Amino acid sequence: MNKIAVMNSQELGESTFTTTLSDGLEVYICKKTGFSKKIGMFGTKYGSVDNDFIDITTNKRTKVPDGIAHFLEHKLFEKEGANALDLFSKMGVSSNAYTSFDQTVYFFETSEKFDESIAMLVKLIKEPYFTDENVQKEQGIIGQEISMYDDDPNFMVYFNALRAMYNQNPVRIDIAGTIESISHITKELLYTCYNTFYSPQNMFFIVVGDVDVEHTINLIEENLKKYENNNLPKNKIEKFRVKEEKKIAQKEIVQKMDIYLPQLCLGYKLDLVNGKEILKNEIVVNIISDMYFSKQSDFFEKEYNLGKVNDSIDMIYEGSDSFSHVIISTLSTNIDEVEKDILEYIEKIKNMPVDEEMFEIIKKKKIGEAILSSDNLNVSYRRIIDSILNKTDVYDQIEVLKSITKEDIKEFLNKLTTDNQVSSKIISK
Amino acid sequence: MNIYKVNNNKFKSIYISYNFTQEVNDTKIFSSYAVLASLMAKSSKSYPTQKDIEKYLNSLYGANFDVNIEKLGDLYNLEFRIEFVNKKFIPSKEELLEKILLFLKEMIYNPAQWTQDVFKREKDFILQRINERKDEKLKYGIQRAEELLCKDEPFGTYLYGEEDVVKNLSLKDIKDAYSTLINDSITVIVSGNLDGYDSIDSEIEKIFKQYDKNFNTNIENLKYNIKRQENYKYEEVKEIQDTTQSVLSLGLRIKECTPKDFYVLNVYNAILGTTPSSKLFQNVREKESLAYTVRSRYYRFKDIIVIYAGINKENYKKALDVIKIQLEDIKNGNITDIEFKSARDSLLADLIEWKDSKVAMAKMKLSNLIAFKDADISIDQMREEIKNVKIEDVINISKKIEVEKVFLLGGEIDE
Repeated sequence: MNKIAVMNSQELGESTFTTTLSDGLEVYICKKTGFSKKIGMFGTKYGSVDNDFIDITTNKRTKVPDGIAHFLEHKLFEKEGANALDLFSKMGVSSNAYTSFDQTVYFFETSEKFDESIAMLVKLIKEPYFTDENVQKEQGIIGQEISMYDDDPNFMVYFNALRAMYNQNPVRIDIAGTIESISHITKELLYTCYNTFYSPQNMFFIVVGDVDVEHTINLIEENLKKYENNNLPKNKIEKFRVKEEKKIAQKEIVQKMDIYLPQLCLGYKLDLVNGKEILKNEIVVNIISDMYFSKQSDFFEKEYNLGKVNDSIDMIYEGSDSFSHVIISTLSTNIDEVEKDILEYIEKIKNMPVDEEMFEIIKKKKIGEAILSSDNLNVSYRRIIDSILNKTDVYDQIEVLKSITKEDIKEFLNKLTTDNQVSSKIISK
Repeated sequence: MNIYKVNNNKFKSIYISYNFTQEVNDTKIFSSYAVLASLMAKSSKSYPTQKDIEKYLNSLYGANFDVNIEKLGDLYNLEFRIEFVNKKFIPSKEELLEKILLFLKEMIYNPAQWTQDVFKREKDFILQRINERKDEKLKYGIQRAEELLCKDEPFGTYLYGEEDVVKNLSLKDIKDAYSTLINDSITVIVSGNLDGYDSIDSEIEKIFKQYDKNFNTNIENLKYNIKRQENYKYEEVKEIQDTTQSVLSLGLRIKECTPKDFYVLNVYNAILGTTPSSKLFQNVREKESLAYTVRSRYYRFKDIIVIYAGINKENYKKALDVIKIQLEDIKNGNITDIEFKSARDSLLADLIEWKDSKVAMAKMKLSNLIAFKDADISIDQMREEIKNVKIEDVINISKKIEVEKVFLLGGEIDE
């Protein structure tokens, strides 16, 4: 029997059960009573930034082409004589996957074929089938995916902001790579990445929905047992990270596209933090965004009435063990003036007292928001993935929220300095 | 006033959708209503600015409010919607319902005195919406196929209206639009965790009673599908845009079908292009590597289907051929049992999963009310109907489906 631990959230009326299987795989089950849909996810702590590491089978340092983690995500769906997307679909189950900087996650959503879907998800991960031919075929499909991103101003303005902030850090690189870089991918390289990063101790399994906890854990374990013999070496994974200097790479990147409405992304590069500090920064920035940039703010009202901003001004924090930054983004036909206004305003609010009444209303809103969001199953798994990668507890969020003070807001604002600030713009041709 | 309830205790919140639905006699209303909706979302007499509204909603534990506009076939729907936490889940057990309903009433029936400045600002807001539509290539490609198919029908007008019409709107036009709006057919749908809210319908009735009068028409009698047959002819249209990828979209017409064909058409569409087992995905993407995105979309109210794909412009002819072959294949009865079954099972699964969304359930009620004149059809009944569809039904209906419009957005083609 596996030892199962349980974490509860009184506020969300939700529990997450967790256990570690004998091969080292971490399993999380978030129980959502009454929901029809069940989501299963099998993920690895491996993403686009992990491009320089020790090949676990040869013990040699290896550098791999940009975009290979994402390419591997596509190719893992390929099974002998079939495609797993199609195999899921034939059961009436929808499946998909995504790759980001630090994770690759495969998932299914089903209401009636849960047991079969767990088996299929395990098969998907455990039976790689890469051939020269199917690697070549995928280059065409991913080529179109890359072209799609190239035409997407939203996507480009964000990535250019990262490129402006970071000098060496591989977050600068497109997750899908380039048409050129993916042409160097071979089936051998795919196996190298697979063998190194898809071992149980680097992976996690998440289930969200109205399921029986013990049954689910047994089901996952039984399915994994079929592959006991082809388990990969359990050596510690060794990654090489380029040392990223403190200063920004470039003050500004401006790109022209065939669009009507220009886009702006301001970035502030910050010091790395870890664990609960990442979560705290996320929530602090969320509150700052609500207080100073949302439709409730004087600033938004002014910019809106002047016709400079139409939709919203969004501010988020993104952090991991290799990056830490704030992104402020908006769209405007008058992008240079909006940029100037935001930068001046940030200097101004650093010296202003934090409005007590507004701060309390926003905290109240945040609690309501967390409760409202629990009607959506996707929020539950995102919370679990964040907690795995940040090494925090699943339900730390509300506790951290309650602990945040006006001083935290003030302190954070003072980290947003001119030296570490960059601008990215997409303008019309 | 018709009030429909969908209760499920798995949720922690309640969603109220207050709809004004009308027929479109003049497509100019798209422009005036877009501006009106934008004004109404941002002000009322008691809450004159967006800031006042947001602040109040935040104090109600982050209740979400907005005004949504949409086309339901050729009908125009303006929807006020609000979502709030059921008191059981609020730490202080504070009751929000009355405040929420009074707020909704305020936003709908007590509009601000719009000044020329405020009016001009919202006109500019809508003009930007119109001008920025080409920035999202795939979405624009789909919309152009819809517009080509439904030329001169209300559905063929862009949701935010037309630039020239918006520019020439006066404040009086907006006030007139408001007077028409509040006499449109009203449908209220309440969806979510209604535990502890047994009498929510009578509370809604009580608060909105004075506005519940003789409406112009009943929603069931509204005509949602107008057909301008003179436009039913084959056309290929190209639009140049300086992009890396091109978008190919095809407009398909379904001839002679009835509302009951909804189920078989859903199965047809799933076989054609909504799942990874579909003909389009398997052939255009997997076999020929021509696209990353390729899908089809069925429009229940308009008897049309749109196929769209992101392709390399050099592959235009080839992609078009491969797509047309798939359509022929279905007509010739080349549907395997597995293709059929996976299409059907994925639809059955989608239907069950709607039950997990308050918004999807509310939308389903409204759609069924308009198309089937019956809001009480359950998900289980709909599933039964899907289960009853036979392969032969799909083949029969496929013979009534023709490609009528082909649209390409992208670089110049060397022919």
